[in-house]
Amino acid sequence: MAELTSFSFRSGTSLLHRLDVRFKLLFLILISLISLSGDFPRLGIFTCLLTVLIINSRLPLKSGLKGLQFFLILLLLILGARMVTTPGDAIIEIKFFSITRQGILSGVLICWRLTIIVLLGFAFIFSTRSFEIKAAVEWVLKPFAFIPGKRIATMMGLTTRFVPVILNQANETAEAQRARCVENRKNPVYRLIRLGIPLIRRTFERADKLAVAMEARCYTENRTDPELSATRLDWMALVVMILICGLVVSI
Amino acid sequence: MDIIEIENLSHRFEDGTLGLDRISLQIREGAFVVVAGPNGSGKTTLIRHLNGLLLPTVGSVKLAGVSVQHDLLRARRLVGMMFQDADSQIVGETVYEDVAFGPENLQLDRNQISKRVKQALIAVGLTDFTDQSPHLLSGGEKRRLAIAGILAMEPKVITFDEPFASLDYPGVKQVLIQILSLHQAGHTILVITHDLEKVIAHADRLIIMQKGQIVRDGLPAEIVNAVETFGVRAPCASLLGMEVRSWLN
Repeated sequence: MAELTSFSFRSGTSLLHRLDVRFKLLFLILISLISLSGDFPRLGIFTCLLTVLIINSRLPLKSGLKGLQFFLILLLLILGARMVTTPGDAIIEIKFFSITRQGILSGVLICWRLTIIVLLGFAFIFSTRSFEIKAAVEWVLKPFAFIPGKRIATMMGLTTRFVPVILNQANETAEAQRARCVENRKNPVYRLIRLGIPLIRRTFERADKLAVAMEARCYTENRTDPELSATRLDWMALVVMILICGLVVSI
Repeated sequence: MDIIEIENLSHRFEDGTLGLDRISLQIREGAFVVVAGPNGSGKTTLIRHLNGLLLPTVGSVKLAGVSVQHDLLRARRLVGMMFQDADSQIVGETVYEDVAFGPENLQLDRNQISKRVKQALIAVGLTDFTDQSPHLLSGGEKRRLAIAGILAMEPKVITFDEPFASLDYPGVKQVLIQILSLHQAGHTILVITHDLEKVIAHADRLIIMQKGQIVRDGLPAEIVNAVETFGVRAPCASLLGMEVRSWLN
């Protein structure tokens, strides 16, 4: 079976790969929050930073963009909607619609912000092992006694583990139904029900088997804590990031 | 010394079906036992009593002298279980994570976990796949990963539920080699199968089950010719009056 998506961890030795996951998560949140209200100069600085990180970590942008095709369509829709709905100085007028200068700027700004956030997420996933992400979630939720952090981390891990298995199952079921001419049925609801019910049943059966297998391996919520350690590099990166964010905010 | 002692074990499911009917059985440490029988004969139900996944309705199951019910954690450490569907048994997002799952549940420290994972991956020959996602492994590799997950718990008894189901010939050989090396390393092996052909040449005991009861128990050479009476296909060689040979030859 082929790799399902390019949005997965690839081992490496880049700066991003070497940083502690908690710091990366903090940087991701910081940059995303500032970007959400950022204007062109601010986004420009973040784009420069992101470009350096992308080159340094050899992020596979080409295959990433392929996986992001629906996101790119969404960006185009946002841009289009902004161009025709924002009032201002009209550049082109077609019947009831007018494309305004302010609309173009506003659309480009929003698309730029979203692109930065999505690319940051891509870089984060690309350079971070899934168990590190789980560990960070556990660490973040630890102070909140009323939130079962370990259980949430286990559920996250199992979801990531079983999404490809369930998709594979869905493909198999769909193929088996195509082999029995389900395509002759034009009613999409009928086809959806025929695909959905066996798939859901198999998924629940698999979940049952999984629960038994976990029990056989002594599953408990009081498991060995994940290991996370911050190095000098992480603290240096934090200082640099605070300086960059300070500069961006002060512009 | 008998590592497994089962006395008068019966199990009735919630719907009233009798899964096991008055089974008594002793298995010595280091034995290689094949449990065969048609679907629904109670093989899996029997095995699930060994580590407390199912508990007896009547009777008792003891591991190295201690009742399974009395100490479930001990039972699950002593008896490793490989399920029929390896995909449902693998819980980790990477090979390393999956093997570490059991030791993490035992709350071992990180150094010990790392040591156990490395040893288990070496034992099954998956050291080059440490960071790989399990769904990208082949069928044989997935079963070897499931075995590594069990080995990391350092069990004494390992049970295999239909270990060769849906495997191609190289996959069967890989898993068979693994089972034999575990036996040579001193583990007690229990293989559940309705397909004797692939494993019987290596077993030192054959148990046939039917309708929740043990109907034959003895040396494979002595009872293999009678298995078809109980809905189990006899190996081709024995049907032709020849000696059953290993699939590895």
